[in-house]
Amino acid sequence: MTATAQRAALGALALLAVGWFSVPLLPLLGWSVADRWSAPALLPQETGVRGWVAAWDAGLLGAGLRSLLLGVVVALIATPLGAIAGRVLGWGRTRARVIVAAGMLLPVLLPPFAVSMGLDVLLLRARVPGLVATIAVLAAFALPYCAFTIGAGYAATDPDIESQARSLGASARQARWRATLPALRRPLVVAAALAFLVGWSDYVVTLLLGGGQLITLPVLLGSTASGSGNEPAVAALAVATALPPVLLLGGLALLLARARRPAR
Amino acid sequence: MSTVLPAAAEPRLRGAAPPLLAVLVVAGVGMGAVVATAFGLMPLYGQPDLSLDGWRLNRSDLLLGVRETLLIATASTVVACLVGLVVASLVLAAGPGARAVRALAVLVLALPHLVGAVSYGLLLRDAGLAERVATSAGLPESAGWPRFVAGPWSIATIAELSWKESAFVALVVVASLATSHAARTEAAMVLGASPWQRWTRVFVPASLPALGASGLIVFVYTVGNYEVAWLLGRAYPEPLPVLAYRLFTSVDLGDRPAAAAAAAVTAALALGVAAVAAALLPRLAAALGRGVGAGGSR
Repeated sequence: MTATAQRAALGALALLAVGWFSVPLLPLLGWSVADRWSAPALLPQETGVRGWVAAWDAGLLGAGLRSLLLGVVVALIATPLGAIAGRVLGWGRTRARVIVAAGMLLPVLLPPFAVSMGLDVLLLRARVPGLVATIAVLAAFALPYCAFTIGAGYAATDPDIESQARSLGASARQARWRATLPALRRPLVVAAALAFLVGWSDYVVTLLLGGGQLITLPVLLGSTASGSGNEPAVAALAVATALPPVLLLGGLALLLARARRPAR
Repeated sequence: MSTVLPAAAEPRLRGAAPPLLAVLVVAGVGMGAVVATAFGLMPLYGQPDLSLDGWRLNRSDLLLGVRETLLIATASTVVACLVGLVVASLVLAAGPGARAVRALAVLVLALPHLVGAVSYGLLLRDAGLAERVATSAGLPESAGWPRFVAGPWSIATIAELSWKESAFVALVVVASLATSHAARTEAAMVLGASPWQRWTRVFVPASLPALGASGLIVFVYTVGNYEVAWLLGRAYPEPLPVLAYRLFTSVDLGDRPAAAAAAAVTAALALGVAAVAAALLPRLAAALGRGVGAGGSR
């Protein structure tokens, strides 16, 4: 195969991959700006903001703020806990590493809905508010992503960084806070973003433990999608649910690219 | 003069107690309560009474749920792994369009499954965008549109799950091979390997640990996913998470043990498959944590 033919084949495959990832999102984008899009038309007959108005009326703003808050609180709890576990995962002895890794894999392997169902009954009896229970479960489920991401950061950092800080007179605590953690800025930011996404994107845990009181954006989207038949409103809510993760990811990519540049 | 640096304290297991406790308490208490409820030991009202009613009364639904769940999880995992592998090799080959493919994979990974499910519904249902495109391309209306959404083969559910999870598999494989792929491929080229040989004998074997680990995570995730099958699947038979949720929210509180039984079976399926895979393939167990770290949240 010549180099040109190879490039052409790679290009064709890449085109297929672009289609695989992007085509399923086209109906969402189309319906989110459609006022009327009856079959068999391939494009909306009338464009407008009907869906966004209906989504706004359904409580888009309040649900969005609740989701935002949930994501931030989950990240604030899971990231420091993940950093503690990550230190052992990256720098600990084999036995400690294996035990922590096994513990951290538990939430990855267990279905969140099953854990939530069990806790629901207990927390109801203990009169724990649904919001607290939702945050606790989501933070536990976000923890592995934080722990393994920060653990990989620790593994890529020489533990001597702390020894050197100590030899310059820093206490163990100072060495950790002023030498190690700044060196782990990148995995810490990525871990916090992943934990935020767990809180932001969750549907079933919030539904089960929130007891119908905690209406986040995915909960609002789920109930609208299953019941209303109002496609523009459903699509608008779906786009609103998708935007923050996409923006967060884009911002993060830019930030990390900028952070890396001076080092080169 | 030699200076002895004060050694950094090697982190001990005790240091990781808070996160370990958090995970063990939430997962352990939650699953413990599910199992106790399934055996009648934690009724919402009345006295605890060891009973198998939760398992007996909905036995056929439970068995059909296991079949449905395994069908969806297996099909989604196989498709996600195959597509993910091809996408990873495209990204690593750094040919035309590779950056766009990688950016799209990251975007798809960041989207909540619920958003994907909504869009797949609008794409594949009757009079959805796919049918409109097919009709305009010449598909006769009399042919009828297959029931992809809420149909007998859970096509829309499997399509959405494998679509989003293929991005996860691809990014885990890319992360695991990013530093070694170029040198390995170059060595194979120097030795005269054709592009196909480089793919089958160099890229695929090297990607197997990451592929196995990400595939296992995908399987376990799809076993426990609720919202995609709930939105895109048929009413009967239901996969286990949908069955469990329906029984859990039933007006008849007597359905709670059956809901807990369905939840317990879902967890047992996920844990059982993971345990067997990790026991058979020790390298897979080691790659699991790296897969979680590299692929990000589900």
